[in-house]
Amino acid sequence: MDIKNMIFELCHASGASGNELPAAETALEMLRKFCPDAEIVGGNVIGSFGTHSPSKKNLVLDAHIDQIGMIVTYITDQGFIKVGNLGGIDRRLLPAQQVRIHGKHTIKGVICSVPPHLSKGESTVSSFDDIAIDTGMTKEELDKIVSLGDTVTFDVSCRSLLGSRITGGALDDRCGIAAILRALELMRDKESAYNVTVIFSAQEELGERGAKIGAYSLAPDVAIAVDVSFAYAQGENERKCGYLGKGAMIGISPCLSREISDKLIAAAKSGNIPFQYEVMNGMTSTNADQYSVARSGAKACTVSIPLRNMHTPVEVIDLNDVENTAVLLCKFMGGEAE
Amino acid sequence: MKELLKEMCLLNGVSGDESDIREYIIEKIKGKCDFTVDNLGNLICFCPGRKTSAKKLMICAHMDEVGFIVTYIREDGALCFGEVGGIDPSVILGRQVTVGKKHISGVVGSTAVHNLSKEEREDPPKTDSMYIDIGADSREEAEKYVSLGDPVYFSSEFVRLGENCVRSKAIDDRAGCAMMIKLIQEGTEYDTYFVFNVQEEIGLRGSRVSAFSLAPDFAIVLEATTAADIDGVSGQKRVCALGDGPVVGFMDRSTVYDKELYRLAFDTAKELGIPCQTKTMIAGGNDSGAIHLSGNGVRTIAVSVPCRYLHSPSCVIDTADLENSLTLVRELAGRICGL
Repeated sequence: MDIKNMIFELCHASGASGNELPAAETALEMLRKFCPDAEIVGGNVIGSFGTHSPSKKNLVLDAHIDQIGMIVTYITDQGFIKVGNLGGIDRRLLPAQQVRIHGKHTIKGVICSVPPHLSKGESTVSSFDDIAIDTGMTKEELDKIVSLGDTVTFDVSCRSLLGSRITGGALDDRCGIAAILRALELMRDKESAYNVTVIFSAQEELGERGAKIGAYSLAPDVAIAVDVSFAYAQGENERKCGYLGKGAMIGISPCLSREISDKLIAAAKSGNIPFQYEVMNGMTSTNADQYSVARSGAKACTVSIPLRNMHTPVEVIDLNDVENTAVLLCKFMGGEAE
Repeated sequence: MKELLKEMCLLNGVSGDESDIREYIIEKIKGKCDFTVDNLGNLICFCPGRKTSAKKLMICAHMDEVGFIVTYIREDGALCFGEVGGIDPSVILGRQVTVGKKHISGVVGSTAVHNLSKEEREDPPKTDSMYIDIGADSREEAEKYVSLGDPVYFSSEFVRLGENCVRSKAIDDRAGCAMMIKLIQEGTEYDTYFVFNVQEEIGLRGSRVSAFSLAPDFAIVLEATTAADIDGVSGQKRVCALGDGPVVGFMDRSTVYDKELYRLAFDTAKELGIPCQTKTMIAGGNDSGAIHLSGNGVRTIAVSVPCRYLHSPSCVIDTADLENSLTLVRELAGRICGL
């Protein structure tokens, strides 16, 4: 399957934090092509790649399976659904936003928006207390389908933009999952320098919770978090961003392993693989922060795919960056990608 | 009628660019009436009735929808745009859009929430800081696909919500267009003019000239109007409510409606046994504003389908209200001609 179709399919499956199963099952099926024994453990999708040998170090490749969303907290007598946030949501863009509610079956709705004539000229950004979802249903109808605790995601489909760019709603971090899957494809029949285990971890958006237990149970020597990071666009600080289409962003940070950062950079340079530096001065806010300090610690690093409009329904990436991330990971693991 | 509505909502027709809608409507009505297209693009139809009335009746709706227009292409390939019609910036941010006749996909992006200060997160977005990203990396690349002045549309599906409701862009005023197509296809009791207007959303401009051309005695404007019967809104601020039937207002920002026609609408609804409601706030406006002051004046009434989230990609109506509006207008038209 080509990378674009893979990402579209992964994004099509829902997986708000804490309710990742549909996305996890889609990813599991894809992963089993390379890791036949892969399974879902404690919400995380885990698979072991190739044959492992005691003489090699253990490498974990991590990408998170969850996406930001909302969770149903109440259904009003008039049939409006009240919600809380799962992960960081920009409330400024919620009015009239289209959503899917993942109840017994998935139904569609709209986030209520107060029309301009009621806002008395002075518009404000609503807090979650004032946010509600309209499904066109009564409370009685909703009670048969939606339960408190069900999750809500943006109702958006992936689309191609010009060239190799695509937009969609859960590219953070389904494109990271696609990059790992593609890296495994490139590594097929090749000797890896590591014992490679893949984890598509749950609940990253709630504070890297899936990776916390994943790191404990897998106890890797080396861990790479394949996530997304900020791509420059109008409104962003250019000094803190990478660029779309210029390759994976290799993390350098006091909390990451400089040894692994350097190895990744060397791999990129020797393989003529485009890459960008992502220098951070502390925590990375990725799953790498969990791997580095789990148990007795691991050498952790980040490899990030540049992405615009993070946590919105219109995230944008460049597919070449996903491919180049896969090629970089392959090179790092010791396999030469063609 | 739901199929008509769906097909028209999925077509694109920002004000000043209504040709796709007009062509669709012509396909649906040709052979059923005589029609002409005037200089502004208004589609003016004459339906001979089974009877002739001494008074001239015009029924109208507008073809255009709110959207955007490309005003500038930046060096980095991003498109700057202006709104066409009144649109709340918060329903523009973070949406997929379609650009131009080549239907280029784009998005209105936003600074990642992570990079907004606490204050910025509470600051409502402004359109002039937004841009459309079509995936181009340079002006040269963008110019291969987009020209200044290209229309931009919200891109949204047409989906059912619950038993009776639907969600889509452009229901304002494809709902009115759908009712008119239906009436033309059915044939009318009296001779009737039907006008599909252009440019309502930018200041009631199409209706101004079509009303002048026809100089009718009576006008019925078919519309979709703001319903605010949503969570946290009570009393008069709900304005009108989904499921409570066609909306016949006594006054809005553009018009004080003809009293006799207002009463006639409610009496007719009562006799037909269908619900009918008025607006509980003086808000909004529609083509009535231009029509009732045309020439020597035109006795005007508006019948609207209550619609939540008007002027967004996610308008919601109850299709029962649409059916009831059609029933009311069909009967009301006959009664007005008999006045």
